[in-house]
Amino acid sequence: MRFIRKLLFCYNRLNTMSIIHVSHLTKHYTVYKKQPGFFGSVKSLVSRKSEIVKAVEDVSFTIDEGELVGFIGPNGAGKTTTLKCLSGLLYPTSGKVDVLDFTPFDRKTPFLKQIALVMGQKNQLWWDLPAMETFLLNKEIYDIPDARFNETVSDLATLLDAKDTLHVPVRKLSLGQRMKMELIASLIHTPKVMFLDEPTIGLDVVMQKKIREFLKGYNEKYKATILLTSHYMGDVEELCKRVIIINFGKILYDGLLSDLIKKHAPYKLISVVLREYVDPKKLESFGTVHTFTFPEWVIKVKQKDSNDIAARILKQLPVQDINIEDPDIEEVIRDVFTKKRS
Amino acid sequence: MSSRKNVHNMRYVRMFLLQFQEIMVQRARSFVWFLLSLLNPLLLLIFWSGVYQQKHAFLSDWSIATVTSYYLLLIIASSLLIVHIEETVAIIDIREGGLVKHLTRPFSYFWLMFINELPWRVFQGALGIFVFLLFSLLFKSFVQLSHDPATLIVSFLIIILAYMISFIFKMILGLSAFWFTDFWGLQQLVEVVILSFAGFLMPLEFYPKLIEQIAYALPFSYIIYYPIIAIQGKLLLPQLFQVMGIQLMWIIVFAVIYKYLWRKGIEKFVGVGQ
Repeated sequence: MRFIRKLLFCYNRLNTMSIIHVSHLTKHYTVYKKQPGFFGSVKSLVSRKSEIVKAVEDVSFTIDEGELVGFIGPNGAGKTTTLKCLSGLLYPTSGKVDVLDFTPFDRKTPFLKQIALVMGQKNQLWWDLPAMETFLLNKEIYDIPDARFNETVSDLATLLDAKDTLHVPVRKLSLGQRMKMELIASLIHTPKVMFLDEPTIGLDVVMQKKIREFLKGYNEKYKATILLTSHYMGDVEELCKRVIIINFGKILYDGLLSDLIKKHAPYKLISVVLREYVDPKKLESFGTVHTFTFPEWVIKVKQKDSNDIAARILKQLPVQDINIEDPDIEEVIRDVFTKKRS
Repeated sequence: MSSRKNVHNMRYVRMFLLQFQEIMVQRARSFVWFLLSLLNPLLLLIFWSGVYQQKHAFLSDWSIATVTSYYLLLIIASSLLIVHIEETVAIIDIREGGLVKHLTRPFSYFWLMFINELPWRVFQGALGIFVFLLFSLLFKSFVQLSHDPATLIVSFLIIILAYMISFIFKMILGLSAFWFTDFWGLQQLVEVVILSFAGFLMPLEFYPKLIEQIAYALPFSYIIYYPIIAIQGKLLLPQLFQVMGIQLMWIIVFAVIYKYLWRKGIEKFVGVGQ
């Protein structure tokens, strides 16, 4: 069986332009448990109870060169564990991982020079010095020639609109400015593959948008392959055509975001602002009432009927404003989680 | 080929200089730490000058001048040769997960930490040398050093090897955080052992015979005591080479231990995730 799996893996490798191949990846941890209180502590000295945590369970996917894929799931779903396996930080319990034709865990220099792992909650900048000094250190670490370094810093700073802050001590920068500098520091070697773990965490909406625009620009300019995890659906909606949804260590969905919406939410939302109060029973005749707090009213209708129903509403009701919207992506994903669980 | 090698060597120098900037920003903190390391030798110097004022005080072949030189050189040795990288390794990198960023970079963690630490030692060592020179000018007759060029050259090599022992040992201590949750306890214990057996309190010859023998058998005397007495000219050339040989042996032993622990520790680190 294992041999056949290996053969299939190799066959898939030869037939695609993929640069990330994950085949039946499984990662289990042993977690030691301690009973509460003083006696629990004493007892744990003699005998410890352990538990196997199945962080990732039989996960398979491939990612093509230049793809920007969203990796979505709640806390503890196995997203970060997968990213760590892909970047060589974790050794898989079983399964095969191949990134840029390397086995990540070997952490060979040519592999490390082509990847970047950016974790929104970890930082690498020197606190008291301008970010440029960290870039220079990374230049030496990645052995980047002067000309290429200058060009990359200039490019990245332009994309991020951050030229003014390159020479300001990091401690004097705002959180958003610091995140921009962190991104430049992580991408100074222009990696071919980027693993981004919550890159917009803690940032305000304006800065989140800026970072998204940058990632999109970077992906296009450098043809970089990006795998991104985020709790902000805005990140995923704006950046990723394809999403992989994971929960309890297993993949629940892998495909286009648009298909996900079609499959799990084959409806549209018509939101209406009424000029006068209307009997809720009358509203129900147009579709399933999603919310109704006068004067705002939202109904769920079938995708294909949305235009006709909107026209009817305009004709029959005292409407001040009307909008046809796609369903909320967060709700769709929640729906995926709930359906799979049940 | 050789120009490529030079470019690579320059890479390390540039990294050292970049790291040095960080020290310059934190010079006030570094200076306070230096003052703390100054305290112990100065207090002991006062104590021994009191002892030597007694008429019959006589300790082997140690005169007041050689004892004074010993403690003044101790100021340099403790600030230059006692590495303090273990907290960064144990707390920031292993416990708080900072190691993640190092493991995804194409650069040896050991040498990165080496470059990280060296500027601190150079800066503090320079302060130590400054204090030493100041004392030497004020109390010329109390300072005795070797004038033999060969002794001084070999002593310089002994100092470099002492630094290496100190560095690798502290890296090993830092790696212990892979396994021990109470890193501070172990660190404090090691500090006490180093303080007792490296020659911080007094020249090891002043110890009772048994403790003296234990101190000679441990690696810590090769970090502080032997480099100091080498510079003082208390050892003959063959003895200096013998010291170098033992230092090399300790470096090899520690390097093997470090490699083993690093491999096992990384397996554990990546096994549980951080």
